[in-house]
Amino acid sequence: MDLTGAFGARSAAVGACREPPGLESLHLGGGDGGFTALLELPPTQAVELLHFTDPSPSSSQAAVAGIGLDVSPPPPPLHAYGALTFPSNAALMERAARFSVMANEQQNGNVSGETTTTSSVPSNSDRVKTEPGETDSSQRLENNRCGIGKRKELDKKVKGSTKKKSKSSEENEKLPYVHVRARRGQATDSHSLAERARREKINARMKLLQELVPGCDKIQGTALVLDEIINHVQSLQRQVEMLSMRLAAVNPRIDFNLDTLLASENCSLIDGSFNGTAMQLAWPHQVTETEQSFHHRQLQLQQPPQPQQWPYDGLNQPAWGREDDQGHGNEHNSLMAVSENLMVGSASLHPNQVKMEL
Amino acid sequence: MQPTSSMKEEFLKKWQMGLQIYRPLIDNTSVSERRKAIKLSADVAMASLRKGTTCWSRALIQKTATEDNFLVRQMLSGIKAETLINKKLPKVMCHRKIVRRSKMILRRRQSRSAIEEVAAKARKLIKKKTQGLRNVVPGGEFMSNDVLLIQETLDYIVSLQTQVNVMRSIVDAAEAGSER
Repeated sequence: MDLTGAFGARSAAVGACREPPGLESLHLGGGDGGFTALLELPPTQAVELLHFTDPSPSSSQAAVAGIGLDVSPPPPPLHAYGALTFPSNAALMERAARFSVMANEQQNGNVSGETTTTSSVPSNSDRVKTEPGETDSSQRLENNRCGIGKRKELDKKVKGSTKKKSKSSEENEKLPYVHVRARRGQATDSHSLAERARREKINARMKLLQELVPGCDKIQGTALVLDEIINHVQSLQRQVEMLSMRLAAVNPRIDFNLDTLLASENCSLIDGSFNGTAMQLAWPHQVTETEQSFHHRQLQLQQPPQPQQWPYDGLNQPAWGREDDQGHGNEHNSLMAVSENLMVGSASLHPNQVKMEL
Repeated sequence: MQPTSSMKEEFLKKWQMGLQIYRPLIDNTSVSERRKAIKLSADVAMASLRKGTTCWSRALIQKTATEDNFLVRQMLSGIKAETLINKKLPKVMCHRKIVRRSKMILRRRQSRSAIEEVAAKARKLIKKKTQGLRNVVPGGEFMSNDVLLIQETLDYIVSLQTQVNVMRSIVDAAEAGSER
């Protein structure tokens, strides 16, 4: 999707040191993992998120990329919180295993080279994989706690490196376990860890929102940013109202039939590559239903007419067939005239050509 | 995250499908009714792009279903329509007066350091803003936590942007055409 490319490019540009080469092979697991790993997981929310991010992998990937861009100290992803009952999903468990393994690797990786951790990988994964059989959350918590204890020692070394953070955030995306690193001088009980993870999540999302809403980058402070977001949403909604009003005010035949005609030429028009040629070629002349206007349009064509069959024959026929049923008198006749002329007159854009214009 | 061309195309197709449903009525309608028809079909098209995965899309579909049930049923392919229309969203019932009073009681017991007061005020302000955001985003009241709210807002903004872009290009084309 365009999105991932754009974000990937941006992160590459901005991040500099962000991604160790090994990570590039990391696919972002747009399918199931989604946000869940990145976020702390009360299981119901995790399940929701799983479903949520499924069709919009772009937003999750954007979020992850956005989070990867964060320059602040590494995010404290939260490990399985004691009260959680882990969703009994083998795939998730596997990913959790992989993640906890990788998380350990992060801590050790910078210190003692990466080869040594690979050996620990299979053992950890075995250990974690046996867990689902027991479904003993307290035991899991203990394991993670030990992990955290070890990690705390490596705190100082880890803080400086952004590589790890991006790596952890990338890994997090696939896995349900989100491991929190306690920073120096911060409380480490589970409540504040949860708090902190939640806050980090919210901040990450807010950053994304800031990027999305124009003019929010400069603003400091959550409240003002929220204000801006609310204004933006309201303005968009008002624009929709205005546009629908304008469309309704236009000649009544047009707003409902317009679209059928437009269907055949949608690509170039909609993508806003609304240069003069596109306008002339595609659209407005179809709306006026006289032969004169049609010839006028043909004269204005700047491209040599394409002598192929109307590419959207299939699409147009049923639409105009439906018009037959509605029986809209002269309007219908003129539309049919236009369509016939279109088919004959080769005033159409070849669909491939249309796409190339974009 | 900007709207992609594929999203725009899909939206347009669905919107057209919705408008087709109104076709038999165009000669008899006033401007306001046409506007309503256009807006409703655009909204449902936008929401159906998400196929019921996001909270706001479900809420939006339910909202338009109250205004024009037939349209919604036609626009969404059979099965989904039934489930979406009839499903009750999990409502977070929050009796504000009770909550406020209990919070006041709690507050009286807490220590009153200056820093805490400032932080408390900031938190209140942010809560007000998030409440404002919930009012704007469809289905906001049903989003139980802030994280979900912000996620939904993100998605909603992107969808609104596609909707606006597509509608604007069509309106421009239509107006340019009708001027000749």
